[in-house]
Amino acid sequence: MVAPMEHAGPGRVETGSEDAQIVVSGVSHVYRPKHGRQVLALDDINLTVRRNEFVALLGPSGCGKSTLLYLTGGFLPVEQGTICVLGETVRKPGPDRGIVFQHFALFPWKTVRANVMYGLERKGVPRREAEVRAAEILVQVGLKGFEDSYPSQLSGGMRQRAAIARTLVLDPATLLMDEPFGALDAQTRNLMQIELLALWRRSPKAVVFVTHDVHEAVYLAERVVVMSARPGRIKAIVETGIDRSDPEFVKSRAFVEKVDEIWHLIHEEDGKAAP
Amino acid sequence: MAVIGRTEDGVRSSPVASALVWLAGIAREYGSLVLVLICWELVARLSLVPPYLMPPFNEVLVRIWAEIGDGTLWVNLLDTLRRTLVGFGIAVVAGVAIGLLLARSSTAEWLVGPLVSIGFPLPKIVFLPIFILWFGVYDTSKVIMIVCDAIFPVITATVAGAQGVERQIIWSARNLGAGERDLLWTIILPAAAPQILSGIEVSLPIALIVAVITEMMLGGTGIGAAMMESWRFAESTGVFAGLLELSIIGFLLIRSMNALRRRLLRWHAEAQADLV
Repeated sequence: MVAPMEHAGPGRVETGSEDAQIVVSGVSHVYRPKHGRQVLALDDINLTVRRNEFVALLGPSGCGKSTLLYLTGGFLPVEQGTICVLGETVRKPGPDRGIVFQHFALFPWKTVRANVMYGLERKGVPRREAEVRAAEILVQVGLKGFEDSYPSQLSGGMRQRAAIARTLVLDPATLLMDEPFGALDAQTRNLMQIELLALWRRSPKAVVFVTHDVHEAVYLAERVVVMSARPGRIKAIVETGIDRSDPEFVKSRAFVEKVDEIWHLIHEEDGKAAP
Repeated sequence: MAVIGRTEDGVRSSPVASALVWLAGIAREYGSLVLVLICWELVARLSLVPPYLMPPFNEVLVRIWAEIGDGTLWVNLLDTLRRTLVGFGIAVVAGVAIGLLLARSSTAEWLVGPLVSIGFPLPKIVFLPIFILWFGVYDTSKVIMIVCDAIFPVITATVAGAQGVERQIIWSARNLGAGERDLLWTIILPAAAPQILSGIEVSLPIALIVAVITEMMLGGTGIGAAMMESWRFAESTGVFAGLLELSIIGFLLIRSMNALRRRLLRWHAEAQADLV
């Protein structure tokens, strides 16, 4: 009954426009475990992410939000439908779509610097230049002085900073983030959210941010894509329309109401999901 | 661990004290060994068993000293070590290569997988007569026999290590632009290194064991052969000298292997220290 509300925004024509960075059209995905039955993880997803837009994918676990991210990243094959990023159909992973995972996925045998330089080396950037660029990005994410540490020597927040630096050093036009702050404590998490917004403003790029935290989604994103589970569908797309110029915007009425509105959307889902 | 800590403290106070602390550390660590040697000496000295069956420890030392003097120890030692290390080296390189292939290619898995499953539990020594038929009784047969036995722990550890690499680590590498080759050499190999090294640590003593066994069975040179020769001439000091020599070699080999592991897995050691 719930149609993907692509037109929920204030009357924009999006699909196929010059303005589109990611166009997901008619994507379904079946998850086939080796044992057990098949699950329809995504069912006919249509979504357009505008150029340099910050979008949050929000939903309960099992709604396929991470799957959608992995498909966009090219890590899983798109079997039904198409995903285009900047006009190119996604077929395999590439540094134009940087990814940040919840559990960092740093290379534990490499130092922070070597982790950050890995992508540059693959691109054939000369060593000296790669070192300079790695040093710069590590300053930006606040890891100066930890270049020679191994990931195991860092706190969770610092590991995620390193993982973000490793991705950002390649200056991807699209940043895919899979619950990146989900493994961090509340304080670190809040700090990372603030810094991510600052990074995004300094160097605009399209961000697709997967989370199950409503507050986080409204805090960060321009639009929140609310998903429902089993099968994973887009339930609603909500423009947050938050004015973030006020540093205290979290306390603003608009923010609180937006969080509330989305909570209601999700609770509707809870009621329905009970079998 | 505590021993090492104390030694480091001792270095700062005085060299004599630190040497004493070091000796005390050794005594603590290897006290049971010293006890065995003392018992051995006592049992032999008190003539509880005839010296033919068990010569006193000090006579064995004299014998080793003589072997050092006339050079036979070095000849035998180098032969045994050479066979062990050549066989071990081939087993490591081939084992890692086969293991990576098995883990990454379904064709290789189909082709070689069953052979590995059958070969692993098989007592590889059954091939010895065949190898003798084909390659004679010299080094070739011995080294091939060593490879056959030492390769399996390396293969299985490599397969387990390579298959156990986290999916998101591989995805990250691909995302950063790694091709198939990069993935194998710069991601899967180092990620699997802790497990591969564990397999290698198992295979090193196996290589030494098989080297000695083949020397005993095929004769020629090497410490194993020398022990059998001493036995034929009823020189029990020679037999026991071989036992001591091999114990020391085995111990030193394992020690160097451990040092190498610590060196290669510095990042991993730190990860483990982090957990404690």
